[in-house]
Amino acid sequence: MTTILVADDSETILLLMRTRLELAGYEVDTAADGQEVIDRVDPSSTDGPDLLLLDAMMPRKSGIDALRELRAAGVETPALIISAHQTPDDADAPADLEISAYLTKPIDFDALLDAVAELTAPKAA
Amino acid sequence: MTVIGVGRLIVQRQDYENSIERSYQREIQARVQLAEGTNPAAAQATVRREEANRERLRDSISGDTRDTVILVGAGLIAGLLGALLLFVGQITAMRRPLEALVAAAGRLAGGDRSARVRVGGVSEVATLGKAFNEMAAELELEASERDRLDRMKDEFVLTASHELRSPLTSVQGFAELLMMERDSLTPRQVETVEIILDNCRHLVRLLNDLLDLARSDAGRLQVRPQPTQLAPLVDDVVRMMRAQTEASDQTLIERIDPNLPVVNVEGDRIRQILVNLVTNAHEYSPERASIQVSARVADNAVEISVTDNGPGIPPAQLEHIFERFVRGDAGLTQRVGGTGLGLAISKSLVELHGGTITADSEVGRGSTFTVTLPTAGPAAIDPAPVGTSMIGESGRR
Repeated sequence: MTTILVADDSETILLLMRTRLELAGYEVDTAADGQEVIDRVDPSSTDGPDLLLLDAMMPRKSGIDALRELRAAGVETPALIISAHQTPDDADAPADLEISAYLTKPIDFDALLDAVAELTAPKAA
Repeated sequence: MTVIGVGRLIVQRQDYENSIERSYQREIQARVQLAEGTNPAAAQATVRREEANRERLRDSISGDTRDTVILVGAGLIAGLLGALLLFVGQITAMRRPLEALVAAAGRLAGGDRSARVRVGGVSEVATLGKAFNEMAAELELEASERDRLDRMKDEFVLTASHELRSPLTSVQGFAELLMMERDSLTPRQVETVEIILDNCRHLVRLLNDLLDLARSDAGRLQVRPQPTQLAPLVDDVVRMMRAQTEASDQTLIERIDPNLPVVNVEGDRIRQILVNLVTNAHEYSPERASIQVSARVADNAVEISVTDNGPGIPPAQLEHIFERFVRGDAGLTQRVGGTGLGLAISKSLVELHGGTITADSEVGRGSTFTVTLPTAGPAAIDPAPVGTSMIGESGRR
């Protein structure tokens, strides 16, 4: 089963994302900040999540910073960044983090589910 | 020198007169002795000596006077020369700082708030320089305070817009979840959820508009122009808007010149502007009104206009129509869903593309909004990062 690790500092949004993604047939794991994301992804294991769905801005450690550390550790899991900002340049996202796609808040779930399906398709196939 | 000369002249004159007087006194004494016959020979000698003495004194004083006059004259000339030199020196000492002051004032007027002068030179000029520096410092302080407040305002709008998005995501997301189960909802509940969703969309539109305006104010609103075919874009907007105009029995006519050139614009932004203009025409016009969207080639430009035969805009309002929060007739706005920011943003966006937007209207006849985009648009700036796709952006429309 395809597992998605979702990180957001809002419990309500985590609940919303979990509900929508589970309804679409994915397994969902959640994290409240970037540090929890790093703790859940073991760079030496292939048994991690199939997709990271990270909020760009979170207290303690942002999704961008967490992704930077994971990429430095060799983690190649596709990542989807959700930003409350309107455009990527506002989120200060460097181009070298291999961010697969950007979504803005409020989340357009049709677009989100399309992107998730596309990013997890090669593994499922 | 002159003063010394004149002083010497006076002293010499007094000495001379004293000497003459004493000489006469001695002669008178001698003549008395002569008349009395006490010592005639000595008295006679004294009279002759004093006469000779006075003769010598007279010669001497005229020579001294001449010398002194020469001295005084030379002193006067030297004084004049000195004064002239001093004057030229003063002028030079004043001219440099004054020139510096003029230059600094020019820089200050040109917006260089750090413009200052080096205080020095003649005391009046130094005072002037000091006063100028104090004034410039005060201006700089005021300007930096204004900048700080502007930055705070921009920061506030950005933060507010950002912070509001998370709860809005939840409200909209959960309302959508409810809608996924609409089969088990009563018609009344469905209607309620639809109202929630409608208002979420309105809030998103407001947030995006406010963000655009804050960016525009901060000079951070950017467009990423790309060579763009306008005909399909205009056609797309018209097709998108048709559902809404048809619901009001309004006619939506499309007139696109087939020879429209490719223009260098950011398609999404032009779409945003056109959607705004057509939405306004739709919302401010009564049922069965007619709205025409046309695109044609003009001089080195493409002109896109949206014309309606609605109520029109009174001249007093038309004048301010592109200002923020200025909206059409209050009687109509109740059913009009806009934010009052659309035209202000459209204007900023059109101008960022190097184009213009104008409004013509006649009360009772209708309104025309025209966007003119130069065919030689601005060069692409800050293109989107390669390899990153933008999806979502649900609130744009």
